[in-house]
Amino acid sequence: MTRLAAAAVAVPALVLSGAASAAPNADFVSLPSPLAQLSSSPPLAGGASANAEGLRHRVAARTNVVVSLGPDGAPLRVVATQRLDVRVKGDYFFPIGAPVSAVEAVPGSASPPGRRSTSILWAGFNPSRRTLVARAALRPGAVAPSLPLRVTPGPGVVALENTTGVTTSAFTADVLVAPLARYFAQLKRAIALGEVPTSGGALVTSKPVTTRIRVAAPLHVEGTIGARRVDLVLEGRRTIAGSGPVRLTVTPADPARLLDRPVAGLSGRRLLDRVARASLTLSRVRQYRTFLGNPDPTGPSSTTYVYRTAARPVAAAPAAGESSGRGWPLTLAIVLALLGALALSAFAWSRA
Amino acid sequence: MGRVLLVLAVLLALAGCGGKSSPSQRTPLTIVVDGPFSRSPYLGRTIENGARLAAREVNANGIRLGSKTYELRVRTLDTALSPARAVANMRRAVEQEAIAVVDEGTGIDASWRIAAKPGIPIGVVFEGGRQIVDPEARPNVFRIAPTDHGLAFRLAEYLIPKGLKVGLLHDDSDYGVAGGQALASAFERNRSSVAIEQTLPADALDLAPQVLRARRAHATGLVVWGRASTIASVLTAARSAGWDVPVFTPPAGADPFVRQQLADHPQWVDGLTFAGGRLTAEIGTGPFLTFEQKYESSFGVDRVGVKTSGGQAVIVPPETAMYAYDFVNLVAAALLKAGSTDPAKVTAALNEVTTEGANGDQRGFNHNNHEGVVDDDIYFARFHDMTYTPVKDDPLSATLPAVPQTR
Repeated sequence: MTRLAAAAVAVPALVLSGAASAAPNADFVSLPSPLAQLSSSPPLAGGASANAEGLRHRVAARTNVVVSLGPDGAPLRVVATQRLDVRVKGDYFFPIGAPVSAVEAVPGSASPPGRRSTSILWAGFNPSRRTLVARAALRPGAVAPSLPLRVTPGPGVVALENTTGVTTSAFTADVLVAPLARYFAQLKRAIALGEVPTSGGALVTSKPVTTRIRVAAPLHVEGTIGARRVDLVLEGRRTIAGSGPVRLTVTPADPARLLDRPVAGLSGRRLLDRVARASLTLSRVRQYRTFLGNPDPTGPSSTTYVYRTAARPVAAAPAAGESSGRGWPLTLAIVLALLGALALSAFAWSRA
Repeated sequence: MGRVLLVLAVLLALAGCGGKSSPSQRTPLTIVVDGPFSRSPYLGRTIENGARLAAREVNANGIRLGSKTYELRVRTLDTALSPARAVANMRRAVEQEAIAVVDEGTGIDASWRIAAKPGIPIGVVFEGGRQIVDPEARPNVFRIAPTDHGLAFRLAEYLIPKGLKVGLLHDDSDYGVAGGQALASAFERNRSSVAIEQTLPADALDLAPQVLRARRAHATGLVVWGRASTIASVLTAARSAGWDVPVFTPPAGADPFVRQQLADHPQWVDGLTFAGGRLTAEIGTGPFLTFEQKYESSFGVDRVGVKTSGGQAVIVPPETAMYAYDFVNLVAAALLKAGSTDPAKVTAALNEVTTEGANGDQRGFNHNNHEGVVDDDIYFARFHDMTYTPVKDDPLSATLPAVPQTR
């Protein structure tokens, strides 16, 4: 073994032994992951996958979801436009899970997308960099439970409700503050730089006890309700005075309240609670930033949701062959007139 | 005596229980191969062999749907390259309650409707005409073969940046006319790259006047879209006149007939570049060579009939067989997905399944696209010493390994 290799092995060993010497009675316990999937959706329909024959494409995904709302706030139509910026030369085969009713390429897309009942399909060869853009009409009933915001108009008010909340497991225990604070700083740095955060652990000095906590992705809601301007971060439910057409842009936001408040002076137990909540909230934010899956699990993903009031779709006109366009009263009148004419003719013939 | 009979009856009943179903207990499902067996025997046979190989592999375990196990049986019908016979064949396929038809493509514009009534899926594995496949208008027609449109656009994409002034030559066969239209469309926005467009008589033995005309139009490259005989005639006319113009073709350039015709002048074949569907995936030649090995052990080697300068016999990689093989595997996957032997349900399920193709690529269709070979899968290969290798000046082709073609 060379000296360099020996040194590379020795450094982590020192860290481990250092940690052990600092806390001879502490046990290492994994923290909730900031990448955990806390519910089956989003991403929709199992997310995306990639079959790239031994190579891994780097993919940045940007999705815009337009939700057309009915008068009662229910989604009537959901259209998602996803732009994939694919790098690394080679073949790709990307099924992007979604309950699709129609899909088309958007101008600028290098190739047209395919459609299956539960996915958008991309297949082809990337010579170096490719932009793939699909606009997909999604089945509203299937995607409504995965949308982050519920809009409920009432008399003179509109209620906005963050629907990203989920109850999940965490744990509480006494922990060593310093290593956990270091991990938290590292987590915050990764988020600030837009990097994929890594999971961490805590050195616990008491028996961990499982807890149930509720986390939600904070939503930055911006736009208008009638003439009223809206710009807020929504974590629960808010009623806005106003009426008229809704046009709101919703983006999942980092949990500033959990990340930015100082941790100095917090007990180990309180710090653990903060870090666990932050980590799980980040994972929830990550889910809602990936409404449609990204075939590159570590690639950047973002999703913007646009909610707007729309007229209810006009029902399709019945087929020409299905109805003569004549109501039953008219039909009855014609039949009676014919019977009358027949009776008159018979009477005239009998008198002839 | 009565007890003996009772014991025998119990034994017989037990013998019928459990275990795998033997082929004799399986319900057959017919796959019809509609190909030009009498007029183009190599093509017909290779399609049939690909379908048979896939059916044999599927039948190793059978297709279990509910309480029944099915197996695929391949039946062949000869089109003789006649659209009328293709239509008659499709009627027979419907009468035979075929679960799917693997078709070379002749007469498909008329025959698809006959299969559409009972919903029988058709897999075209050779003809590349654009009008053949239309998921909206012809929901039961699928294709696993490079499209004329894709070939023409890839040729344009490859040739225009080279600064060549190309002569676009196509013969007057159906194949040539469809290709001529595809080429015209592909070069429409780059007319300055086109020196001349010509239609060649498909049956002419001597194309020297037409080739001379292209030369006088200052063509610095020829794209020849036509039957293998036309391509061989153009090469003969150009090379015998001392014109070393680069020649580019669709997959017909790799037809054994071209090399057989030019066997006395192997150097005339050198440099011939053709566009075709890739035979291998990025993971290497492994999957295709495995398929080729299975094909050869079942049906033997397809020899070109020429040798390299080193005296090695040149063989034809089973490309078209690969497409037929993939289609039959997709039909088997669709049967399982549909959970039914209703052809219409199988057709619908074909839009939802993907299998790994014989070359290692993902193979499948969807509601928007019934093409199993996407345009991106079209590569270029160049001949040297009677065998070909992928070119290095095209991004896709440069990633592909060469497939051994000698024995």
